[in-house]
Amino acid sequence: MSNVILQHIVKRYDEIEVVHGIDLTIAPKEFVVLVGPSGCGKSTTLRMIAGLEEISDGELQIDDRVVNRVAPKDRDVAMVFQNYALYPHLNVAENIAFGLRIRKESKEHIAKSVSEVGEILGLTPYLQRRPADLSGGQRQRVAMGRAIVRRPKVFLFDEPLSNLDAKLRTQMRAEIKRLHKRLGATSVYVTHDQVEAMTLADRIVVMNDGRIEQVGSPMDLFMNPANTFVAGFIGSPPMNQLNGVVEVTSDGLQANVSGITFELLESTQVEPGQAVVVGIRPEHLSLHASEHSSTIPISLDLVETLGSEALLHATVGEVPIIIKVETHGNIDHLHNVKEVFAPMNLVKLFDMQSGLAIDRKTVA
Amino acid sequence: MAAARQAKPLKQKLSRFVDHFRNDWQIYLMLLPTIIWMIVFLYKPMYGLQIAFKDYSIFRGVAASPWVGFEHFQTLFSNDQFLRAIKNTIIISALNLLFGFPAPIILALMFNEILHATYKRTAQTIVYLPHFISTVIIAGIVTTAFSPTAGVVNTMIGWFGLDSIYFLTKPEWFRPIFVSTGIWQEAGFGSIVFLAAIAGVNPSLYESAVVDGASRWQMMWRITIPSIMPTIIIMLIIRIGNIMEVSFELIILLYQPATWSTADVVNTFVYRQGLESGQYDVAAAAGLFNAVVAFVLVMTANTLSRRYSRTSLW
Ligand SMILES: Nc1ncnc2c1ncn2[C@@H]1O[C@H](COP(=O)(O)OP(=O)(O)OP(=O)(O)O)[C@@H](O)[C@H]1O
Ligand SMILES: [Mg+2]
Repeated sequence: MSNVILQHIVKRYDEIEVVHGIDLTIAPKEFVVLVGPSGCGKSTTLRMIAGLEEISDGELQIDDRVVNRVAPKDRDVAMVFQNYALYPHLNVAENIAFGLRIRKESKEHIAKSVSEVGEILGLTPYLQRRPADLSGGQRQRVAMGRAIVRRPKVFLFDEPLSNLDAKLRTQMRAEIKRLHKRLGATSVYVTHDQVEAMTLADRIVVMNDGRIEQVGSPMDLFMNPANTFVAGFIGSPPMNQLNGVVEVTSDGLQANVSGITFELLESTQVEPGQAVVVGIRPEHLSLHASEHSSTIPISLDLVETLGSEALLHATVGEVPIIIKVETHGNIDHLHNVKEVFAPMNLVKLFDMQSGLAIDRKTVA
Repeated sequence: MAAARQAKPLKQKLSRFVDHFRNDWQIYLMLLPTIIWMIVFLYKPMYGLQIAFKDYSIFRGVAASPWVGFEHFQTLFSNDQFLRAIKNTIIISALNLLFGFPAPIILALMFNEILHATYKRTAQTIVYLPHFISTVIIAGIVTTAFSPTAGVVNTMIGWFGLDSIYFLTKPEWFRPIFVSTGIWQEAGFGSIVFLAAIAGVNPSLYESAVVDGASRWQMMWRITIPSIMPTIIIMLIIRIGNIMEVSFELIILLYQPATWSTADVVNTFVYRQGLESGQYDVAAAAGLFNAVVAFVLVMTANTLSRRYSRTSLW
């Protein structure tokens, strides 16, 4: 199995630079997911790895070999496209066999590989059908089949599930995960669905505006976002962000958000008067006070029921805030909520100017 | 009882049509000019078609001329010139189909391989141009080019020390010259429809093939051509429907009595019979025969295509 190393990869279209120097090392067998808002350069980065876009600057290595100037077919990668890119005039078996035929593999090898892949993906009954006669999920599977049949060093996926409905997406997500476990191939997966990112990834790469904001395991990104962008991007609903100021009082170091105080450790790397952002995840806010928690008075706008959970949409002063709570089958009491509590060990602090996280431990 | 049951759906259908018409009358209004054009120029002249079965005289008029049944058709099919015209029509059409039909497809595939945008645009414009030149001028260009004294072709033949040939008086040269002139004039313009079809092919099919390791040649054979096959088939059906309509003006302008043996087609025969000899009824019969053959051909082609490739004009 192969590693993929991006060293200061830059992409320019004429004068416009859209990817500004990406550094990323992907270990063999690793499943890396690129996420980020639309237009941030995820597809461009993936297509540079595939060789469909020229690399303007920097160095790309696959399996310890520099491949900047190597043709896509000699990079030994396979790519799954968002719209499946199936050949409408070929049936499923011929679609899966396409890459092998092009490479002039023997007939026996092709037949064996196709039936094997058909078996793995549950496509055996459909091998003689044309893509037009398949459902979206089946087409998606054929696209996967075309990629895996070649046993490439690296799999590249560009939003492969975004054309499927929600239920099918969940199902295919699990299937991709199983497939990766089984084949163990190095994979780079682009999506803007952060649930997909969280569930599939060994490591997530959060991109924004042609740059990497943070790389880390799903849990790491969730618990310790490196900056306000990642805090706002990962998690659904995203982390609440309240603007405040650092103060020194008789009780010690505090962040003051329009009268609400959040105690800070003496060791926190802040200056009195520094403008900060206090971040707290909707699911970390609680209806019950605990030791070391700040009380946040809210005015409730709306209760959204999701079943076992509910979202409270409220405001703190003027700033919107979302609280996610367990319903235990009853939401009546939620309509009278006047204040919520933020456990200090789960509160994050960011510098307002740079947006960067300040000192990961802010427990009082 | 049964009649009443049948009457009801008819009434329903009618009222549905009226509703439909009331909602979408603008669309029908836009259709109107075309319908009027077809009535005036295509359906009204059909009234005159009956003279193919009549002993027509201008003085008696269409209605008063007496019926003669298939007499004119008998006359035609015992006329060697008409039989020769049918043979020539079929041969010229077959050559046109064989060489003229693939030409724009090949041209479109070639344009598709040109990556340099300006070069591609310039080349395309140049090959479109002959389409916009009037047939009379085209015939003039051809006559000049193949002239025995000043013509480019004979000048080039002269470089090799060969005698000049008066091409346009040689029956064996008429068909090659006619067919290649047609290709030169129309291949470029005809390639537009195939270029449009190529432009409609999903680009990720090519990207996926590139990652799979396909060469440009393989992509052309395995992706481009199969993808534009429905367009090719539709164009072929239309072409077959027009098989009897060889470009009549160009033949009239290029042929001479010396080349009639290979150049005279049904349309030029009709023209000479009707307008030059005043035998309108025989000419109408010949024209009708032409139309019936074309109709049968296009129906057959369409049916075959629908059965075997799931593509059809209607
Ligand atoms: N051919 C091109 N010429 C100029 N700019 C381009 C070209 N292709 C992409 N871009 C720009 O590059 C940036 C990154 O595009 P990219 O397709 O990588 O975004 P993305 O992260 O995949 O977005 P999405 O989630 O919408 O697919 C965009 O701002 C886009 O406008
Ligand atoms: Mg994209």
